[in-house]
Amino acid sequence: MPPPISAAEIADEALVEGSSLWKDAWSRLRKNRLAVGSLFTFIFIVLFCIVGPWISPWEANTQDLFLGATGPSAQHWFGTDTLGRDLMVRVMYGGRISLLVGLVATLVALSIGVIYGATAGYVGGRTDSAMMRFVDLLYAIPFTIFVILLMVAFGRSLWLMFVAIGAVEWLSMARIVRSGVIGLKKQEFVEAAVSLGYSHRRIILRHLIPNVLGPVIVIATLTVPAVMLLEAFLSFLGLGVQPPDASWGVLINEGQQNMEIYPWLLIWPAAFFATTLFCLNFIGDGLRDALDPKSAKD
Amino acid sequence: MSGAEGSLAVVGDPREDLLVLDDVHTHFDLGRNFLSRESKGVVKAVDGVSLAVKEGEILGLVGESGCGKSTLSRTIIQLIRPTSGRVWFKGHELTAMNDAEVRRERIDFQMIFQDPYASLNPRMTVLDTLAEAVRTRHPDLKGDALRRRVAELLRTVGLNPAHMKRYPHEFSGGQRQRVAIARALAPEPKLIIADEPVSALDVSIQSQILNLLKRLVRELGLTMIFISHDLSVVRYISDRIAVMYLGRIIELGSAEDIIDHPLHLYTKALMSAIPEPNPRAERARERIVLSGDPPSPLDPPSGCNFWPRSPVPHDDRMKQVEPPFEEVLPNHWVAACPFCVSERVKAVEPA
Repeated sequence: MPPPISAAEIADEALVEGSSLWKDAWSRLRKNRLAVGSLFTFIFIVLFCIVGPWISPWEANTQDLFLGATGPSAQHWFGTDTLGRDLMVRVMYGGRISLLVGLVATLVALSIGVIYGATAGYVGGRTDSAMMRFVDLLYAIPFTIFVILLMVAFGRSLWLMFVAIGAVEWLSMARIVRSGVIGLKKQEFVEAAVSLGYSHRRIILRHLIPNVLGPVIVIATLTVPAVMLLEAFLSFLGLGVQPPDASWGVLINEGQQNMEIYPWLLIWPAAFFATTLFCLNFIGDGLRDALDPKSAKD
Repeated sequence: MSGAEGSLAVVGDPREDLLVLDDVHTHFDLGRNFLSRESKGVVKAVDGVSLAVKEGEILGLVGESGCGKSTLSRTIIQLIRPTSGRVWFKGHELTAMNDAEVRRERIDFQMIFQDPYASLNPRMTVLDTLAEAVRTRHPDLKGDALRRRVAELLRTVGLNPAHMKRYPHEFSGGQRQRVAIARALAPEPKLIIADEPVSALDVSIQSQILNLLKRLVRELGLTMIFISHDLSVVRYISDRIAVMYLGRIIELGSAEDIIDHPLHLYTKALMSAIPEPNPRAERARERIVLSGDPPSPLDPPSGCNFWPRSPVPHDDRMKQVEPPFEEVLPNHWVAACPFCVSERVKAVEPA
């Protein structure tokens, strides 16, 4: 046996740190200008929506019926809507709700989908078949009818919308994670984990899920815009956010009604919404390339 | 081997040997055709293996690709449960245990896998991988004590402990295989099954890893089953050799006996395929060339399963009746088919 090793020696030796996969991925992502630019734009929009209303002198729901709809001016940079409300503050408030829906619903979808998919893939056999047929079943329910049923049963609320959207979006996540886990399960490091006597829980959480996280993160960044679109769609139908509250979807709906007379009511929220969607898509693409270990390490 | 009260197993004694297998079968049912309900067949990957491994030895297991070596290794550690037959480890019958009990036994037998690129979790540092494995034996070990143990393990397998915070992709194939060996050693097992541990490595690295394994078995008092299709590698490392053909062990004996005095025709053919380094001996080398490919384990030949490829024709009886696995010479076992086993033994046998 080799001689015993002192603690100080290990402390010194531990300084030689390797580069992790995540560090590699970050260095690759940084070289992708489009992704980095999108990331900064996205952060700017998020800060604008969160901090903006505190600075602005206007209230989102205070009407000024004598003013009515006016174009962009020194007082109201984005103009006002037909009820004389400052559009910039309303875009900020709408953004808060749209982003919140996007992130919360994606998190819901992510946690359900990853755990469900990983379990199905790991257990395999009949359990897997049964679990995935259940997913197929849910896929078959038309989304709008599902949401309308939920609204009828539980009444309208923002949280119900999170649940409804999350409950639909986790399906694809579960399928992706399952197929990833099935591919990994045959790998020798999983066999090694089994032969070391680790528990199933440990194998799923420590050995399988971290290895499918790459694609999952990418799908998540692409799910956020999809969820925001769904929210806009629901609000457009009058099933989502209720007036006087606003989301980008609601604002776009209002703007579209007055498009010919007051085009700025459509242009501002639509510009913010579209920019955010572009940014998230570019970030997702960038992450996918950066996390792919096969992309050349330079 | 047939004791007074009747031995438990054909080969070996579960009360003395570390690992005993008795008539183990591992079959994979391919299921039924969806429409006609006809069976798609059963793959007989392991088809009646009896084997004993003595404490402290290196048992080499050789055979062609697809003969069931890997399935056998996974059956031994109960990663795949056998269809029938019994497996004893340290006198306990693994095949009689439930999954939870087997899981507790698992720290006593560990595996080293063929592909060092697939056998390490790419998302975990070497420290994490080894610490996790160490804690299967010492669940309370943490902090500096745990790191010290990991450093010690890395030093044992000839790696620099300074690299413990690195990820597998930062190591070469040989270094990764050393990490995999360290992981197998971490739970302080009694038995290590090495499934083709060097066949994915460069020849120059192979000998380093072989020497490392040999040294570890001696220094740590381990027992090892070394699986390979490469005879020269098995010859170098093993104390005893088992020859596998189409899901069965057809010959088992000390390394010298198997290499210098093989009894079974198949073993002879294998041995005659080892190239000689000396050119004169190489030119004089007589080769027994077998015809055809090994038959499919989906539909293995009955009787002595070597008959379709044997240069010596078999009679109808041996095409039907499975030859018994017998100790025809002291500590030298063979599937005693009269056509496959040489004249010399038949002359010795009656004595």
